[in-house]
Amino acid sequence: MPIDPGFWVLQTLNALQLSMLLFLLSVGLTVIFGLMHFVNLAHGSLYALGAYVAATVAGLAGFGAGVVVAPLAVATLGAALYFLLIRRMRRAGPMAQVLVTFGLIFVAMDVTRMFWGDLPMGISVPAWLNGQLDFLGIEYPAYRILIIVLGLITLAALTLVLTRTQVGAMIRAGVDNDQMAACLGINVERMFFIVFVVGCALAGLAGAIAAPVLAISPDMGLQILIPTLIVIVIGGLGSLKGAIAGSLIFGFVQTFGAVLAPSLASILIYALLAAVLVLRPAGLFPTKG
Amino acid sequence: MFRHTRLRLITLALLAIGAVLYGAFTGYFGLEVLTEIAILAILVLSLDLVAGFGGMVSLCHGALMGTGAYAFAMLASDLGLSPAAAMAGAIGLTGAVAALIGAICARSHGIYFIMATLAFSQMGYSLVFESPWFGGDDGLSDVPRPDLSAIGLDLNDPRTFTFWCLAALALAYLVAAQVLRSGMGRSMVGLMHNEKRLRALGLTAWRVKAVAFGISGAIAGLAGVLAAQQTQYISPGLMAWTVSGEALVVVILGGLGTLVGPLVGALLFVMLRHEVSAFTPYWHAVVGMILVAVVMSRANGVYGWIEHRLSVRGAHGKPIEPEVENA
Repeated sequence: MPIDPGFWVLQTLNALQLSMLLFLLSVGLTVIFGLMHFVNLAHGSLYALGAYVAATVAGLAGFGAGVVVAPLAVATLGAALYFLLIRRMRRAGPMAQVLVTFGLIFVAMDVTRMFWGDLPMGISVPAWLNGQLDFLGIEYPAYRILIIVLGLITLAALTLVLTRTQVGAMIRAGVDNDQMAACLGINVERMFFIVFVVGCALAGLAGAIAAPVLAISPDMGLQILIPTLIVIVIGGLGSLKGAIAGSLIFGFVQTFGAVLAPSLASILIYALLAAVLVLRPAGLFPTKG
Repeated sequence: MFRHTRLRLITLALLAIGAVLYGAFTGYFGLEVLTEIAILAILVLSLDLVAGFGGMVSLCHGALMGTGAYAFAMLASDLGLSPAAAMAGAIGLTGAVAALIGAICARSHGIYFIMATLAFSQMGYSLVFESPWFGGDDGLSDVPRPDLSAIGLDLNDPRTFTFWCLAALALAYLVAAQVLRSGMGRSMVGLMHNEKRLRALGLTAWRVKAVAFGISGAIAGLAGVLAAQQTQYISPGLMAWTVSGEALVVVILGGLGTLVGPLVGALLFVMLRHEVSAFTPYWHAVVGMILVAVVMSRANGVYGWIEHRLSVRGAHGKPIEPEVENA
């Protein structure tokens, strides 16, 4: 067992970076589920799309433009999806929703293949993000620090909005009891729409900032989907606290598992998930249903 | 409740006659396709048994099929059991694994059940993918086929092997139908509709679910054994969660909770794949759009839709109230 403190700092940063990426994805998915009881398996595809749009725009107008355009483009697509499919599927059971969004995954994967081809794409970051930063005595890539910071900012912003503003109070009321909230004069339908689009934008943002560290390929949405689902199931579907806890648990178990017990690492997280489901079937921080 | 309506019996007879005639006269490629349909049909049959009649929508049936395939390959190659014994062992083992998963997941419902089974599916996939013991991402090759020369059959002959798979499908169907008619099957349907009431009647819910999931898993294991024998090579790709997702798609396209519908679904799905991939590499997009359209139409798949139309037409004069099967 290494006792070098630098090792622990490095792995903690790695774990945090993975956690923040997953947080950006899972928070949208979990709030959409909590508010709308809608299971969107295509969330990962939106993330992949964000990565592709970011890479394309970054190639034309620089990295910064890519990171700004990707969430907007994905949010627009999300709005279109909402009006075409999601709104009609709201009253259908979870099974129908899982299937429709599973179909969307197929379509999205082939559409990205049509436009961008099968080969993985790369994306380059600006020079000022390319270097290494001195952090608590170790060298760490500046870009990965940026991911952590961006994740923390999003987390803080969402926490503030959800706990301190009127819109946040309305959303929480909708998650607790949407019919009651509607009776109190809250336009639940419009709130659903806003939350869905913001969730899509966050998925697009996650895709854009993940693009430089991971390879952009048509199946990247499929690959990230399972970790995202694990995060929200461990945390409890529908709760912000759960998304935070779930992302951190997943990030740390995965990262430290891979260095400390490589042979067990891949099974560890699934075993943990199974244990959570057996002991707390509704996750660690269940929302009142 | 599951019943063999006249329509279902006619459909079954047509499917059986069609399969036998096609199998008897088609060439090598046709036999491969027919075998593929038969194996997929066994898998979706097992999934419909628990998803359509028990409300247990599982995303681990692909992994259960993979378990059957790997168990068969390892029992036959590494432990040197005869293929027949290895088949029995693999099916039994898969059934036991499935029963365990069913028991653990029995408390979860709806989306949580789907996620829990997905977790087990991924656990199995990682285990097989990472472990050199299972051949890792190289998979296992040289999987044997059973030796039936004692009764004058040679399974290395493509046509004989296709009929071997069709016979297995017929057996799997009979087992599934028999299970649904048994008291256990009826309890399972009851649990899907009103778990609280059946508990109040003194039923041990988790045990029924575990047994049902176990039987379903054993059938999925049979599909896996046949898949391993067909290609004589297996890879972890067999256990990926998308295989389970596709199986669910086939069940939905065919008609959930009709037992006959998924057979039709398997036939359509494999044919569609071969037809569509002949003129576009993007056949997944086509299947995805069909899936979205079928689910959005609120029909219970192709076969469920036909049943519904016929029962509406059959009731002329009377108020139009479709006979709700399995309700």
